[in-house]
Amino acid sequence: MSDSLKDNVCDETLFSSVFNRYSKDLHNFLYYKFGERLNPKDKVQEAFIKLWQNCAKVKPNKAKSYLYTIANNLMLNEAAHQKVVLNFQKLPTKSHTNENPEFLLEEQQYMEKLQKALSNLTDAQRTAFMMNRIEGKKHREIAELLGISTKAVEKRIYGALKKLRETIKEI
Amino acid sequence: MKREELIKKWLDEELNPMELKAFNALEDHDDLVKLSDSVKRFAAPEYTPENELQSVLQKIDHSSTSNNSWVKPLIGIAAILTIFFGISYYNSTLDTEINTLASEKTKIELPDASDATLNALTSLKFNNNRWTNKREVKLEGEAFFKVAKGSRFDVITKDGIVSVLGTQFNVKQRENLFEVVCYEGLVAVAHGDNYVKLNPGDSYVILDGKLIAKEKETQITPSWLDNISHFESMPFKEVVAEFERQYNVSVTIGSMDTTLLFTGNFKHNDMDLALKSITLPLNLKYSLKNDSTIVLSSE
Repeated sequence: MSDSLKDNVCDETLFSSVFNRYSKDLHNFLYYKFGERLNPKDKVQEAFIKLWQNCAKVKPNKAKSYLYTIANNLMLNEAAHQKVVLNFQKLPTKSHTNENPEFLLEEQQYMEKLQKALSNLTDAQRTAFMMNRIEGKKHREIAELLGISTKAVEKRIYGALKKLRETIKEI
Repeated sequence: MKREELIKKWLDEELNPMELKAFNALEDHDDLVKLSDSVKRFAAPEYTPENELQSVLQKIDHSSTSNNSWVKPLIGIAAILTIFFGISYYNSTLDTEINTLASEKTKIELPDASDATLNALTSLKFNNNRWTNKREVKLEGEAFFKVAKGSRFDVITKDGIVSVLGTQFNVKQRENLFEVVCYEGLVAVAHGDNYVKLNPGDSYVILDGKLIAKEKETQITPSWLDNISHFESMPFKEVVAEFERQYNVSVTIGSMDTTLLFTGNFKHNDMDLALKSITLPLNLKYSLKNDSTIVLSSE
């Protein structure tokens, strides 16, 4: 972190580089934790605007946790917490397929079960699990982003996996 | 326990070849992989930091001008104060105006110890705020002034300016008549090109544009203060005009010469007696047409 030489993020190029480094992770974190309903993109923007307005008070190496805290609070302020339902991408529909209809139906049912199971996870479990599975982030990276220990991340992810499998079996 | 360790390592992609083999041999290996693959379809929507950065920078640009959130309320407060002071300043520059109606007299105190008594149908204007710099009143009608000692005191009338330095004097400015009588002190009258200084008892009278000589005034205050109008060699029409003002009536004069000079008094509180006072000496008859109209005619 060469830019920790500076003691604030009021410089526009520094601000831009902070944005490029953290915004996507922050966005995905917000999405997995709160879903799409509260508009994670806007919250990312708001958080960065807040960072800019208070740039004199925030050191570059504190910017990340500042952003996560602000964005998280923005989300929590927005509304009482509701169950988060994430959307899954539809597989590209083919005009003809050699997979048999039964398989396709099972596939669809499985995805719906998974969707429900994901909603039943705690926010912490789901966030860590999705970051790991989808973003391919190592436990250590997630721990750094969330500001928790690697052990805690491992526990959350494994817990999530266990709970998902149990829920899918039950449904 | 071994199983859990394997799965945890698999999740963190830390399996070595030996462990991978063991993991692949797990009975629920296929389930795990399927779950993991399926979860990938729940990925967050596309997010492109470059585009988002642009819109954030734009928003920052927009908000940076009004960044200081205290500026707006401050501007509001400043505006209110400006308006408030503006109005109070405007009010303070306004003249105070006092008007009397017909048959009304009033005594007012000017901003210093001076005072003025206004006769009927008179208007007096002065400015409270500028009084200390400039003792100045604008007069239409008739008023008696008692001026406190001090700087120059000006009475501005349509016909001329009367200036004094602490004194008592009467100024009468009516349609065709401009009369200044000094009762005490020294009064200067500027009337057109004329500049006259009046000693106590002196009068300065302009009637129909002509200067009229008048005897020394012996009274110490004008008679109208005691509710008597006193005339000395005044054209009758001036007497009638004063009568109209004092009793709030209109007087119609029949065929007669209204420039006849009249010397005498009339009282302000008894109309019948007053009418007699002004008609008998000239052998005139009077009749009340109605409450507010009186007709005079020669016998």
